[in-house]
Amino acid sequence: MIEAAGIPTVTLNMLWPYQKLVGMSRVAAIEHPFGRPYGDVGDAKLQREVLLAALEVFERARQPGHVEHLPFVWPDPPKQTKWHPAEPSPIIALLQKRRKG
Amino acid sequence: MSETTAGGTPREVDAWRFTGSFLKNLLSSRIPDEPAYADIPWTPVSKPLSESKLALLSTAGLSMQGDPPFDMEKERQNPTWGDPSWRPLRSDATSETIEANHLHIDTGYILRDLNVALPVDRLRELVSEGVVGSMAETHYSTMGFQGNDTSELEQKSAPEIARSMQSEEVDLALLAPV
Repeated sequence: MIEAAGIPTVTLNMLWPYQKLVGMSRVAAIEHPFGRPYGDVGDAKLQREVLLAALEVFERARQPGHVEHLPFVWPDPPKQTKWHPAEPSPIIALLQKRRKG
Repeated sequence: MSETTAGGTPREVDAWRFTGSFLKNLLSSRIPDEPAYADIPWTPVSKPLSESKLALLSTAGLSMQGDPPFDMEKERQNPTWGDPSWRPLRSDATSETIEANHLHIDTGYILRDLNVALPVDRLRELVSEGVVGSMAETHYSTMGFQGNDTSELEQKSAPEIARSMQSEEVDLALLAPV
């Protein structure tokens, strides 16, 4: 919608395969945990590098649907990376209840 | 669809690295085998980054303190509903001046450092160094979970955000789902 209004967009996105569902104009795919797409708390260096890498996609993308995989590696393994809310979201709680039901 | 990798690295981002199997199955089941859209919108970039005005958008459910927060209570009552509205965020927003309402992530990180999801301080630095032309007066937030119905987000909020960006003569928008 923003792109259609004449403003080029880049989407920095962990769930880049959703490209097939929604058709984003330019995607900067990033392997970061949910809630912290630009980097960890207080890590200004990483936040800056991710921001710059995402902005560079504006210059490189030449056609709609461009997906670029950014090379950043989250420092902690998944089991040590917390991103979930303290309680399951309402929809997850509902689905888990149905599955057990 | 073209796919390239920055820096010549052949590694593809693993979208499911942090999801766990339950969420991976849930989220990946929504992805169609073939593209579900007819056309992808496209506006060519018209000027160098160093001359461009940039706006940021986050789906973290951010609002300025004092503004109405995203409605979490209604989502608790109706788990298939997500607040489809949007909020303007001032460019001088900090962790101390915003609220984060999003039931699907731990918002504690954002409340300690806004830059993890809306890198206003990092963008300000790039503007001061001349890498980016300028920073929009307003940034934006939606709330990422939209349940079964994305129509109000698509038909009302997104056009309103686009018009606001146009009114501030924004050249580029960087969107970051959380």
